[in-house]
Amino acid sequence: MHPTTLPHSLSLTLGAALVLAGAGQAAPPAAATDPPADTSDWKCAACPFFTGYATDTEAGVQYASGANAAYGRYTGIDHTGAYADAAASGQVVTADGTYADYDLERLGLASRDGTVDAGREGHYDVRLNFDGQPTRLYDAPVKLESNRRTVDLLARYFATPSWTLFGEFQRQEKNGTGLTSGAFLTEALQLPLPVGYVTDSLEAGASWAGRHASLRVSYSGSWFSDENAGLEFANPYAPIVPGSTAGELADPPSNHLQQFSAAGNVELPWWATTLNSTVSVGTLRQDQSFLPVSTLAATNVLGINSLNGDVHLSHYAAGLASRPLPKLTLRGNAVYDGRDDKTPVLSIPYVVTDTFPGGTAVTPRYSEDRVRLDGGADYSLARWLRVGVGGKFDDNHYGPGQVYTNTQETESWGRATVLPIDSLSIAFKAGDGLRKVSSFDAAAVPVQESVLVRDYNYAPRDRTFSSLTGTWAITATLAWTIEAALIKDDFRSSPLGLQSDHEQRASSTFAWTPRESFTTYVDFGYQRLFTLENGSTGNAGTTPWLAAQTDRFWNLSVGGRWVPQERWTVSLDYLLAPSYSDTDTTTGGLQQAFPQNFTKLDSAHLDVLYRWTPALQLRVRYTHETYHENDWALDSVGPTTVPNYLALGLMPYRDNVNMIGVTVRYQFGRNFGAKPSP
Amino acid sequence: MPRSPARAGARLALLFATLAGFALAPRHAAASDFSPQGADSCLGCHSDVAVTGIFRTVHARPDDPRGPFGHGGLQCESCHGPGGAHVKAGGGPLAGMIEFGAKSPTPVARQNAQCLTCHQADAGHDWASGAHAASEVPCAGCHSLHQPKDPMQNATAQIEVCTTCHQAQHTDLFKPSHHPLREGKMACTSCHSPHGSTAPAQLVKNTVTETCTGCHAEFRGPFLWEHQPVAEDCSNCHDPHGSAQPALLKIRPPFLCQTCHEGVGHPSIVNTPQGLPGGAPSAFLLGGGCLNCHSQIHGSNHPSGRALMR
Repeated sequence: MHPTTLPHSLSLTLGAALVLAGAGQAAPPAAATDPPADTSDWKCAACPFFTGYATDTEAGVQYASGANAAYGRYTGIDHTGAYADAAASGQVVTADGTYADYDLERLGLASRDGTVDAGREGHYDVRLNFDGQPTRLYDAPVKLESNRRTVDLLARYFATPSWTLFGEFQRQEKNGTGLTSGAFLTEALQLPLPVGYVTDSLEAGASWAGRHASLRVSYSGSWFSDENAGLEFANPYAPIVPGSTAGELADPPSNHLQQFSAAGNVELPWWATTLNSTVSVGTLRQDQSFLPVSTLAATNVLGINSLNGDVHLSHYAAGLASRPLPKLTLRGNAVYDGRDDKTPVLSIPYVVTDTFPGGTAVTPRYSEDRVRLDGGADYSLARWLRVGVGGKFDDNHYGPGQVYTNTQETESWGRATVLPIDSLSIAFKAGDGLRKVSSFDAAAVPVQESVLVRDYNYAPRDRTFSSLTGTWAITATLAWTIEAALIKDDFRSSPLGLQSDHEQRASSTFAWTPRESFTTYVDFGYQRLFTLENGSTGNAGTTPWLAAQTDRFWNLSVGGRWVPQERWTVSLDYLLAPSYSDTDTTTGGLQQAFPQNFTKLDSAHLDVLYRWTPALQLRVRYTHETYHENDWALDSVGPTTVPNYLALGLMPYRDNVNMIGVTVRYQFGRNFGAKPSP
Repeated sequence: MPRSPARAGARLALLFATLAGFALAPRHAAASDFSPQGADSCLGCHSDVAVTGIFRTVHARPDDPRGPFGHGGLQCESCHGPGGAHVKAGGGPLAGMIEFGAKSPTPVARQNAQCLTCHQADAGHDWASGAHAASEVPCAGCHSLHQPKDPMQNATAQIEVCTTCHQAQHTDLFKPSHHPLREGKMACTSCHSPHGSTAPAQLVKNTVTETCTGCHAEFRGPFLWEHQPVAEDCSNCHDPHGSAQPALLKIRPPFLCQTCHEGVGHPSIVNTPQGLPGGAPSAFLLGGGCLNCHSQIHGSNHPSGRALMR
């Protein structure tokens, strides 16, 4: 599946980079050694270097009324009540160049995060980062929430001005309760899913930087572990076969990914040319013990304990950028990505939903080779006109056992940037693409699948696209930007599946700054997405049908910042963001529309800052937010609404929140004075 | 005539030597081009906070030999170029000095080359062949070096900077199903490398799937029973920038699943509003749709997970 040798150009680039790396001990990146200027009189006496400490702390309380899972989805503010509000940032620098910078936010919430950078100037540095990420799922009779906590430690040692050694360790923990479901043949039930994930990641390596070249080599590893092997659940229905009283789902298996990577670039002495390349090879493995074939004890006849999963990943890339003429720039990239699944193919005797034996099935393995080529050229025809052309070519080869062997996609585009006046820039881009697909390997089609189907990445597709962007500094105080785009995909040669999709987008921003103490903005956005799919055509015994989905999004933001006098700063922001999702199906000439799925986010935020003294400030914040969601998949779906589906009774996201916060901000510090001149 | 391996090797060595010589060659600038007293010359006029904020940053640390203000460094002129003529003229025209920013008269390529002098390794490997270089985005169009804290280091501020140009993604922030960018818990750089990368869409990892599973490692597999579009590319089904459908899905199940699964039996059945409450409520349609039974859609390691139901 993989090439055994690197492309010649890539070998050349890497070789050059390695030679440079070997020879480059004395090549600092900046003009810090042997400067062309006589700097002996450059005392930097006026330079306000900082030595001492400075702290900006903010603490107080905020009270939220009406908060629930909707408001707390990612903020953690998920119930009515008071929340501590604290933040701090600051800097400490000592005379010997040892320093620490820190920035801590939302310390009273589950979404708290912070970064501490410390080190000794020019010798080493260390960065410690922690981050809390709450996730609150729908309001439900059972609490569906999880928290992701990430701690990241990065250390760098500056061995020489050119060489840096680095190491980074990260631990991500995710704990809580998610949502899943289980089934017994024709009956299903929603289930709370205990979550206990830990992902440890390590990257270590070295980088070298010269004046015209650089190189970075690294090893990275990522180990995922799951404290739960599976989720066993009782059958709430009358068993279809005797004994089918419980089911068990497998949790995600523990796995590990390890990669070696090298990346570098070199500037060539001709035409301002830069070559860059990246090589990365690695393995993704998992060998977790299997669960029993079924809760029906008599069916456990597997005879194999684990998968010995082994996927080899490779990524080879080379890029080039050049300016052969002052007005002409060229660039291009060639990338190979390989996924070679060397996992043994197994024949597995399986049981259908812990109900009855289903026979023996062969596990599918998916390998692929992808080559991407892209490039472009831009030429400045005049001071006011720049034109460009470009294109890309994707060639994907799929491994044995897949229904397609190959897809190829070409895309080309042209663009022009016009500056009719200095303050106005208009850019227009348009192009088209064509994806071709190899013939279908009917032998690889699962028995229950139609041989006519084409999925997203396999469907032969014609694409046209265009975009327009404009920026205009109308006056010294008024600026306007606009962006619009159209994309149209036509899958017309697909007998089944997607037939077409369209995307239309437009957005615009006005910013008005009549004076330094007063700024305002109006921001608007719109997007429409449409897809049409064809179902069941050509299948004997079923009625052909069409399904159309149209999603529309709007957003309008208005706001400003006002400093009426030296002691006061007032900010006000308002946001309105509705979305509409319409689905209809047509069969037998009858078009039937689903109820419209609808969301509306309506939010206003006021922030008033009063400077009591230069060091002491009082801040009052008020937020009002309403969020309303209609969703036909959840609305009115209680535990017994669907006879063969036992639901948890989840409610769509809806909230009406008022939140007020009062904090005191205090800044203090001491500067021991300018450092001696360097 | 057959090519001699020795001659080919010699040519290659010559090419490497040329490149090495170029890479290690000093830059050329005459001492007389520079100001007489370095930063002291500059700060005589440019002493406002908008300038001196840099002395609270990594770019103005006197004990860092890598930095502009390290021992023997060219201080302000490390980045802005020789300022001798500017000083001699008592200010006014920049006389060839480099001014940074999107509205600067200095060509973007020259601005960025100055930054890349130091930042080749940590930011610039793939810059030259990336989309931002092709669009002539200046480094200072995003980064504010003279501010004590560069806004690009803060998630919320970074999103504001990125969506100044990428306005369509600003609309994405407010979609019902979204990654937590609007809440300040992720930044654009959580997934994308604005300095260029060899991955599609300038992603931070080699592929879409590797990028997504950096956080969602539970979907990484390899599973006993794989789902082909999952192994291939998460964006087959999900739109990471936001969606009107749950879980960032492009189309709502069951219709999303039916774009591929149209075979005989229940996958081919048309789902209509008759399957909603008030009609004949359908488990194919309500709740998670297909996922009510096929909940292990990302792959299953259960021996009986063939249909991703275990």
